[in-house]
Amino acid sequence: MKVSLFITCLGDIFYVNAGKAAVELLERLGCEVDFPASQTCCGQPAYNSGYHTQTKRSAKNMIEAFENADYVVGLSGSCAYMVHEYPHLFENEPEWKQKAEILKKKTFEFTQFITDVLKISDVEATFKAKATYHTSCHMTRLLGVKDSPYTLLKNVKGLELFDLPHKEDCCGFGGTFSVKMNRISEQMVDEKVMHIESTDADVLIGADAGCLMNIGGRIERQDKPIQVFHIAEILNSRGEV
Amino acid sequence: MPMQIGEKNFKNRVEKGLGDDFMRGAVKSAQSRLQNNRKLAAEDLGDWEDWRTLGQEIRQHTIENLDYYLNELSENVAELGGHVYFAETAEEANKYIQDVAKKKDAKKIAKSKSMVTEEISMNDALEDIGCEVIETDLGEYILQIDDHDPPSHIVAPALHKNKEQIRDVFKERLGYQNSELPEELALFAREKLREEFLQADIGITGCNFAVANSGSFALVTNEGNARMVTSLPKTQITVMGMERIVPGWEELDIVVSLLTRAAVGQKLTSYITALTGPKKEEEGDGPEEFHLVIVDNGRSKILGTEFQEALHCIRCAACINVCPVYRHVGGHAYGSIYPGPIGAVLSPLLGDDEEYKELPYASSLCGACTEVCPVKIPLHEQLIMHRRNMMEEREMGNLAEKITMQGFGVLTGSSSLYKIATKMAPFVATPFIHDGSISKGPGPMKGWTGIRDMPAPSKERFRDWYKKRKAGK
Amino acid sequence: MEAGQIHNKDAFLSKVRNHLGVIEVKDHVEKPEWSVSPQKNVLKGKSKDELVEVLKEQCKVIHTDFYQTKKNELNGVLESIIKKFQATSVVSWSDEEMKKYLNGIDAIIKNNNIDFSEWDDSNPEESIKNAEKADIGITYSDITLAESGTVVLFNSLGKGRSISLLPKFYVALIPKSSIVPRMTQATTKIDQEIEAGNLIPSCVNFITGPSNSADIEMNLVVGVHGPIKAAYIVLDDI
Ligand code: SF4
Repeated sequence: MKVSLFITCLGDIFYVNAGKAAVELLERLGCEVDFPASQTCCGQPAYNSGYHTQTKRSAKNMIEAFENADYVVGLSGSCAYMVHEYPHLFENEPEWKQKAEILKKKTFEFTQFITDVLKISDVEATFKAKATYHTSCHMTRLLGVKDSPYTLLKNVKGLELFDLPHKEDCCGFGGTFSVKMNRISEQMVDEKVMHIESTDADVLIGADAGCLMNIGGRIERQDKPIQVFHIAEILNSRGEV
Repeated sequence: MPMQIGEKNFKNRVEKGLGDDFMRGAVKSAQSRLQNNRKLAAEDLGDWEDWRTLGQEIRQHTIENLDYYLNELSENVAELGGHVYFAETAEEANKYIQDVAKKKDAKKIAKSKSMVTEEISMNDALEDIGCEVIETDLGEYILQIDDHDPPSHIVAPALHKNKEQIRDVFKERLGYQNSELPEELALFAREKLREEFLQADIGITGCNFAVANSGSFALVTNEGNARMVTSLPKTQITVMGMERIVPGWEELDIVVSLLTRAAVGQKLTSYITALTGPKKEEEGDGPEEFHLVIVDNGRSKILGTEFQEALHCIRCAACINVCPVYRHVGGHAYGSIYPGPIGAVLSPLLGDDEEYKELPYASSLCGACTEVCPVKIPLHEQLIMHRRNMMEEREMGNLAEKITMQGFGVLTGSSSLYKIATKMAPFVATPFIHDGSISKGPGPMKGWTGIRDMPAPSKERFRDWYKKRKAGK
Repeated sequence: MEAGQIHNKDAFLSKVRNHLGVIEVKDHVEKPEWSVSPQKNVLKGKSKDELVEVLKEQCKVIHTDFYQTKKNELNGVLESIIKKFQATSVVSWSDEEMKKYLNGIDAIIKNNNIDFSEWDDSNPEESIKNAEKADIGITYSDITLAESGTVVLFNSLGKGRSISLLPKFYVALIPKSSIVPRMTQATTKIDQEIEAGNLIPSCVNFITGPSNSADIEMNLVVGVHGPIKAAYIVLDDI
């Protein structure tokens, strides 16, 4: 099966290890992984800020970058969801709307792709840790991917997974919200860190780079002994990270 | 009280909210209780999503045919002997209500809870002509006694107050002598307000839902005050926002069932009172004279726009009860009697959008509101729509942001420019990196690094790694 | 009844039409077939006895005492409730049906020294005053909703609104035959009346237990402006 990796801008620059892990794992699962180099950012920062004309430029570039892909696998639920929003964006441009629909149909979030397309629930990973998983809002509520990460994580050997209290609460990232409304965002991320701490986990796993950057950044600032990983890193682990 | 509440500056209001520990504690525990009740009530039904679908279809059909149903409603009310006044503005509505009060030579007016009368500042208008207006909903009564403290929630207006504060207000203003036990406080209010109900010349109510096919309107309450207000005074005035209507009783059933479950997790509240015209001539209790005031006040201009769905709202506050932003800043921070997600959508539409320009941004777009809304209003999408209108059509954004976003469009729209920019990221960031992360960023990054670290850009981008790996294969 | 006046309708509605993009005034709008009807599945196919059980369970949730008896044993139950509430005064509706239920109440009144009065539409001031002072208000239920534990009262002549509202305690007599699954059956019946061109009551009350409020720190207080306690008596053989 041929898959094209949608690395996301944060993944390209900050979460390189997650990208590497994703490539290795997908290959291990029998996929042929390709990386269309002309991909940029999905446009979400501009979209959520109200700059939809600018978003269209990003979107058009993305549509073209993945034109020849069979499957597009995104490393962030939120960015995968943004791609799913493209048809909306081109409501008045039928030609682009049609292309956007095609891209939408073949775009999946990473864990969703593994469980729903590859139909694999055990990737035979080993990772020894006490961990908890952060369900990001866009991925669960808007993209509708709720169970895939849990299905996969449950089968990771050595991983003790704690339920995160109030897991449905937003971590306070919200893209530009985290900067524009940083005082409110601070309260939200603090609450999230508090809930994470209450679980006894020393590892936080997530499937969304934005949330990880936000929660991880706060954890770092407060010097908490919690390590943060992208789910691809865990699923690709064979015992050593 | 007009729609606008508190001080003008949004940032100051937010800071005030964030600094109010009691309020935040109260809101947090109220939210968790209400959320939980709603969830249990929804799960109990088993097919909640079908209920939501039905609710959405009913609201959509009604609003699309609002002219027809309002006409039907008004004709039916008039046939029963009630009077109907269509008010395009708050002023018109208030003037009509004042005229009725004057004609009746009313001194005392008992009122049950209503958001639309808050919105049009009806109490002030009536006080201006010398009437005494008594709020009879317990929460509203507490706020009124406390120097007209503004409401902070559309279902539980005094949510931000604790029982000790309430005891003190009662003590100071009304000579209350008992404890802060809610039972004792409520009993005291019961006794105080009993007299008022019996003496009131006019009863004024809001309207949860009007029913077009019979000219009825329904009040959804728990305390029984709305029943008092509609049983005892000789004259009754009901004020409704023009969108609060359903075609028939079949639909009333659905919206009421959704409202009580979504708002408080009850199958039905203690009282659903459906009134149809004035009392019949030979009947002993109920109003002899009935006036219905239908208020536009900025609603019609929402029709036909991408915000039309905001008029589907049944004012259950479920969106407010799950909102994390509301949880931390409280209702007053929104500066509007309509707080939370629905407030952030509605306030800029009904009020001055310059005044409320921050509200659509006071959301992380987490979508919790959209998920719970019993009539499926896509609240977070409506917020994005506001942002788009403000930035692209009204150009309300600041120049720096606009330039940044234009730059963003150019960069992400062109893969070659994007590649150059991301390649430069580690070099640009180098001076700010300590121990592998950035804790004090420059310029616009300050908003981020003020509260959290930023990871350092990787020296080798993913794309570089991939290219090398591919070449090596 | 003289028709009321309508002010400012045309200008108002034409503005609404303009914004909606509606050109012509519609003289009829057909309601669409709704795609789902979950309300019709609630407690579907349950027998009256099963519905009574549902009602009984729901009474626990709504802080309401539940009794079940037969018509000829009603007096005993009423007497025990009067004693339990330590009532000295009772008011009730006064229509024919109510009188049928309460035909044995004279003895109870005498035995317990109760101040009893019936609702009198021709003397509303006095009736309201009596209700306001009364410990117990008694009505029957026109329709009873099992799911929510709700009695539906069609207020009309002899059936004053104040009886179920002003007294301290409220007692509802519930003929078993009046029990239906939920609000849907009641609203359907009302829609049918409207369809047939009949006038509906000036006030329909859906009453679910005693009055309450959670306005103070979200603590439930039972008994605010309306009754502070409620009891339902299901009459098995009616
Ligand atoms: S927007 Fe939806 S959830 Fe919010 S108050 Fe209105 S109906 Fe309730």
